[in-house]
Amino acid sequence: MLADFQQALADLTGSPELCSHARRDPTVLTQKYRLTEREWSRLVGIISHRGMECACIVYRANRLAPLALNIPETCKALGPELRAVVSEFWATFPETNVHFFIETDRFCRFLQAKIAEGRTFGADVGVVLARESAAVAAALQESYTERS
Amino acid sequence: MAQSRPAVGLLYNPATPDLVQHAPNLVEYIAAMPDRLWFDFGPQAPGRRFHRTLGAIEELQRVSRGRLLSGHGIGMSLPSAIPLDEEFVRAVATMSADLGGFHWYSEHLSVFITPKGSVPNAQAGLGLPVVYDDEEFEIVSNKLKHVKEMLRCPLLLENGSFFTPVPDMDMSEPAFLNRLHAEGHCETLLDLHNLYVCWRNGGPPPPDYIEELDSGAVMEIHLGGGDDFAGFYMDSHSSLTPPEVWRWAFDYAPRFKKLRAITFEFQETYYERLGAEALVSELERMHELAASCKVESEAAYAG
Repeated sequence: MLADFQQALADLTGSPELCSHARRDPTVLTQKYRLTEREWSRLVGIISHRGMECACIVYRANRLAPLALNIPETCKALGPELRAVVSEFWATFPETNVHFFIETDRFCRFLQAKIAEGRTFGADVGVVLARESAAVAAALQESYTERS
Repeated sequence: MAQSRPAVGLLYNPATPDLVQHAPNLVEYIAAMPDRLWFDFGPQAPGRRFHRTLGAIEELQRVSRGRLLSGHGIGMSLPSAIPLDEEFVRAVATMSADLGGFHWYSEHLSVFITPKGSVPNAQAGLGLPVVYDDEEFEIVSNKLKHVKEMLRCPLLLENGSFFTPVPDMDMSEPAFLNRLHAEGHCETLLDLHNLYVCWRNGGPPPPDYIEELDSGAVMEIHLGGGDDFAGFYMDSHSSLTPPEVWRWAFDYAPRFKKLRAITFEFQETYYERLGAEALVSELERMHELAASCKVESEAAYAG
């Protein structure tokens, strides 16, 4: 069915791991989604196309944009760890929220929870995150007060 | 004096007011994105869903005064296999009325919202390609009927830029757009740079695409530029219009007898790098292009 086809395509675009898995074993697509034979065959064709790699890159770049814009110092302080943390975040929240402050606030809470669980990051991350997450929370609160 | 050519303009972004100051007479048309002029807290939001960014709207009102104005959005995601977001369309209609009325409204022929998203307004992260068949035609055309009733202005759909073509489709994208036009659902916004992006990444040659398209359906053209990254060409709106796109524009735009606007898109974060001077030159060339087009009287820009 079309809804499942579109969802599968979105999920594949958001997950290079799912793409690789489906390339190795295309039956995973029919296990996860209700697809007609033709829809399945189209998806297999799409993930085999070289452009799928680019679609995955653009997906990640678009998801990184609100974080780079609103908490640049935290991204910088995370350094090489940023890649792993955002990948985990995107796996936990596969869909973007179009409200940039909600999306960033969600990431800040995710990162704060990781720190509370005892995960260690670079020395500056906690301090910078506290400052930038407070600014994001304030901006989010302010966005609620704009008139319609 | 009435003119017989399309208007020249810009897709509005926060850098537009500054650029317009550099060349007020070269910008006749503004395309504004409602999605960028409000905070959308999603259909499940407690209280009001849409909260406008008031400063940005006031600035848009100032810049668009005396200019042709249209709306250009991504939030309806018309090809998604989900019901039409009527609350969203109502918000667009209200914004249109508050801005003095959009002359037309355009959306993208791409899937932006995923059918089974787990958060309000779940988006796919980028525009996903559409399967062109009868089922999709029914979805898009039925939604367009409702949108047209609610917005009461002409509707346009824009061709997307895709990295992965969908195999084994029942009809091509131009055939899909032609059918929508022939059945009175919408006109076409032909993004020539999107065609270039698709072509650079292995898609069909743009002239083949344009030849297949009903020239009477094209009401607006988009120009813009991107950049190379990791072996692919990106639709980043980070550069000036590539020479090939200009060539196609001059070759084909004069055929579009209902062409109302020629629009340049750039991303505001690249504004300083591009420079106002180069963008003014781009607008001047767009005026040369507009002058080469002789359009039907109802499409002509009145000056």
